[in-house]
Amino acid sequence: MTAAVEFRNVTRHFGPVRAVDGVDLTIAEGSFFAMLGPSGSGKTTCLRLISGFDAPTSGEIRIFGEDSGHVPPNRRNVNTVFQDYALFPHMTVRDNVAYGLMVRGVDKATRRNKAEEMLSLVKLAGYGDRKPGQLSGGQRQRVALARALVNEPRVLLLDEPLGALDLKLRESMQDELKALQQRLGITFVFVTHDQGEALSMADQVAVFANGKVAQVGSPTDIYERPATKFVADFVGSSNVLPPALSRQFGGPDAWCSLRPEAIRVVEGAGQVTGTAGSARYLGAGTKLSVHLGRSEDMEISVVLPPGQAVPAPGTTVALQPMSGALHVMAGEK
Amino acid sequence: MHSDARASFGLRLGAILGLLFLHLPIALIFLYAFTTEEKSYQFPPPGLTLKWFGVAWERADIWPPLYLSLKVAAIATALALILGTLCAAAMTRTRFFGRDQITLLVLLPIALPGIITGMSLRSAFAVMDIPFSTWTIVLGHATFCIVIVYNNAVARFRRLSGSIVEASTDLGANGFQTFRHVILPNLGSALLAGGMLAFALSFDEVIVTTFTAGQQSTLPIWMLQELIRPRQRPVTNVVAIVVFAATFLPILIAYYLTREGHETAGGGK
Repeated sequence: MTAAVEFRNVTRHFGPVRAVDGVDLTIAEGSFFAMLGPSGSGKTTCLRLISGFDAPTSGEIRIFGEDSGHVPPNRRNVNTVFQDYALFPHMTVRDNVAYGLMVRGVDKATRRNKAEEMLSLVKLAGYGDRKPGQLSGGQRQRVALARALVNEPRVLLLDEPLGALDLKLRESMQDELKALQQRLGITFVFVTHDQGEALSMADQVAVFANGKVAQVGSPTDIYERPATKFVADFVGSSNVLPPALSRQFGGPDAWCSLRPEAIRVVEGAGQVTGTAGSARYLGAGTKLSVHLGRSEDMEISVVLPPGQAVPAPGTTVALQPMSGALHVMAGEK
Repeated sequence: MHSDARASFGLRLGAILGLLFLHLPIALIFLYAFTTEEKSYQFPPPGLTLKWFGVAWERADIWPPLYLSLKVAAIATALALILGTLCAAAMTRTRFFGRDQITLLVLLPIALPGIITGMSLRSAFAVMDIPFSTWTIVLGHATFCIVIVYNNAVARFRRLSGSIVEASTDLGANGFQTFRHVILPNLGSALLAGGMLAFALSFDEVIVTTFTAGQQSTLPIWMLQELIRPRQRPVTNVVAIVVFAATFLPILIAYYLTREGHETAGGGK
């Protein structure tokens, strides 16, 4: 499989700020790729580097093997769904969708047919005569999607595509985006700060921190085998164990991550003892925080399976990790 | 406590008197365009007639100033539309050193007393050996017309979401196509309003014009000269009605144009 987009040691500095700092990335053709990170981590700048609205300070961005350095944004076979949708307020929905064809000089009848086709693809058939101002947030999002897809881009960029939608709509749009991507088979690259969104939609996730890529991998990799403390902390609710504590849990002398659901609270002697703290009922279990000994003022989260009795706060509990659950974070020394 | 929403009688009377003081003279000017008596403005007019409109139409000395005023206003407005829009685009779309200072310099001509603008232009023309002509009047008027267009355009540019320009580029449009299909339609009513106001301001301008016109007369200057002469006085009033219509109607249209479109163009949420 060829690479749709390739970052080769890309940096982008804004004055003294290193927004993107030595990024190497390969985005496979046909994949649903997520750039995940907190605000200011450089993910949006990376997206703008692909679309061509920003240029790298150094390094190279290859789109389907070709250096994109001197290709202006309007000549790239890449289209964007903007965060605020950026629909043209004075045009009808149909004209918005057909815009990309119009500026290329496609004749009116073809434009109209193609726009209608795109509108039915995003389930907005019959909305062509309306103005963007008459649509709901979710509908505008679909128009923006149809407009970006009309030029048949090889890569579709989505900047926080679901950020402005309410929770329920966001979940159904996640499913739809995923289905659409599989149906069209084109590469989707989307930027998000929502780890749930990244993990549920993407095939590959790149976690950004301070302009660098902290880890690239499948959602399972990222979630179960975080490479750094930052990834463990940002992506999930993994416990981050310093080397000394890792040894107590029977692991190596290194930074490790341990998922809360991979720890059992056992009767009698366990590997580590602690004091039960507050408990929170999650439905699919109860999350219990456990304070560990005097030497380290540390707190560990444990998920108790449904049915298991919740220890009262203040009682001493013994903890036992499941075998193989302790994961060494290669990115931490 | 009971709060009375109605203003007191005294306040209402004051407001009515104030409005009458402001607007009654204008009504009188209209009234005396129809009087039968031509030497003095006696009240009430001894009789009403439409003959002065005919007389004004016949007067050969009115036409050149009217033509000059229209020409100057049209050229100054066209100039202001181009330069004011470009300036507004530069000021809103880029940040550069000294931007705020330049904004102030652009706005200065409207704040500066016309007499200062007029004097400085006159001495500048003299220094550079530029003879007075229609073009010197146009330049004088363009100084404040640009500000009007700039102000209207800048307000609209700010409301325009920046990403719609990027969206247009992203979809394959070049700079001209983006301007033609995305920026201009969203700027249109603001430019029309700015242009109308600029035209109205230019059409009745007196102070800057007296310094930059040389031997030519625009319509307002013709009126000023005519007031001194006691011949066919109501003709001046007829011309006043024409000037009023030529300035008031564009301002009224501009008001309605800018009142619409209060929603942010391109705002997605």
